[in-house]
Amino acid sequence: MYEELKIDLENKFSISFEVMRERRIKIIIDKKQAIPFLSYIKSKGFIHLTAISCVDWIEEGKFEIVYHLWSYSNKIHIILKTKIDRKNPLFETASFVYPVAQTFERDIHEMFGVDFKGNKRQIPFILEDWDAAPPMRKDFDPVNYSKEHFETEQYTEEIETKVRKSQRFRE
Amino acid sequence: MTGLGRFGQLKSLWVTYFVTGCGGIELLPVITSRFDAERFGIITMATPRQSDVLVVSGFITVKTLRRIIRTYEQMHNPKYVVALGACTINGGIYWDSYSTADKLELYLPVDVYIAGCMPRPEAIFMGFGHLMAMIKDGKADGWKRYKENYEWYKKNQDKACGGGKKWRVRDV
Repeated sequence: MYEELKIDLENKFSISFEVMRERRIKIIIDKKQAIPFLSYIKSKGFIHLTAISCVDWIEEGKFEIVYHLWSYSNKIHIILKTKIDRKNPLFETASFVYPVAQTFERDIHEMFGVDFKGNKRQIPFILEDWDAAPPMRKDFDPVNYSKEHFETEQYTEEIETKVRKSQRFRE
Repeated sequence: MTGLGRFGQLKSLWVTYFVTGCGGIELLPVITSRFDAERFGIITMATPRQSDVLVVSGFITVKTLRRIIRTYEQMHNPKYVVALGACTINGGIYWDSYSTADKLELYLPVDVYIAGCMPRPEAIFMGFGHLMAMIKDGKADGWKRYKENYEWYKKNQDKACGGGKKWRVRDV
């Protein structure tokens, strides 16, 4: 079953096809072919886009967009990976193929700063009034950000004795 | 408030549970039949405008902090804040997160801290016992401190939530 799919896909697209284990296939594709590939694979029965995730390869200078697709008829999970430039993170939307991609892309746009061209609803999602760098990027330092914006306090013996004194129920 | 008024209040604490983190799981047995908070007069209230105590249970993200402040400011005086769990004390395991504020007492006057990750229902009852004793002695004066030091609290709130944005409806 995998062989048929492999021959069919490799005839149409230039991909690297790998069967990771039973029912799980990894496909790596060039970014220009990713959206046509999605619309083709949807016609092959992979109708469920489970998730889109993003990986930050900072040393390579790339963002990796990962599509998880599931076919109910074949019961196969395809992991489609494509890499885009990190300095100029511009990509095309998959929302015309899978409408649910709109929300996933909105999430990635907020957390990684990837711009999906053609996505009609790329508005702020979870973070409210966020004005710093996208927080899931590797070069964003959450410890520094937390130190700048929120004060914290480490437990010391001094604090412990102070607390123990103030607890009247323990006396 | 007179001693009689305080006595009346400590026997009928109406509580708004602001369930932000995992603390809600420990609050369910507190308010239901196993531990039954109602035998101490602690009733869950539907709206903040009718309640005396605000229980913040768990980590405070910046987004919820704005809502917590608004909820607190809707409540009538005298009002008390109970902070539940390690996250409200110094951030807990989320101390280095970009989205969680670490210390609740910078933004609201906390009357009682209940430490633990998460505190058991017994610990919650101990904390409420502590609060009742403080009300009886007139020592639970968080709402007075909030009024007197409002500029300081407002400065901290603006630093965490972003000043100049439209999240604050009005000043107290």
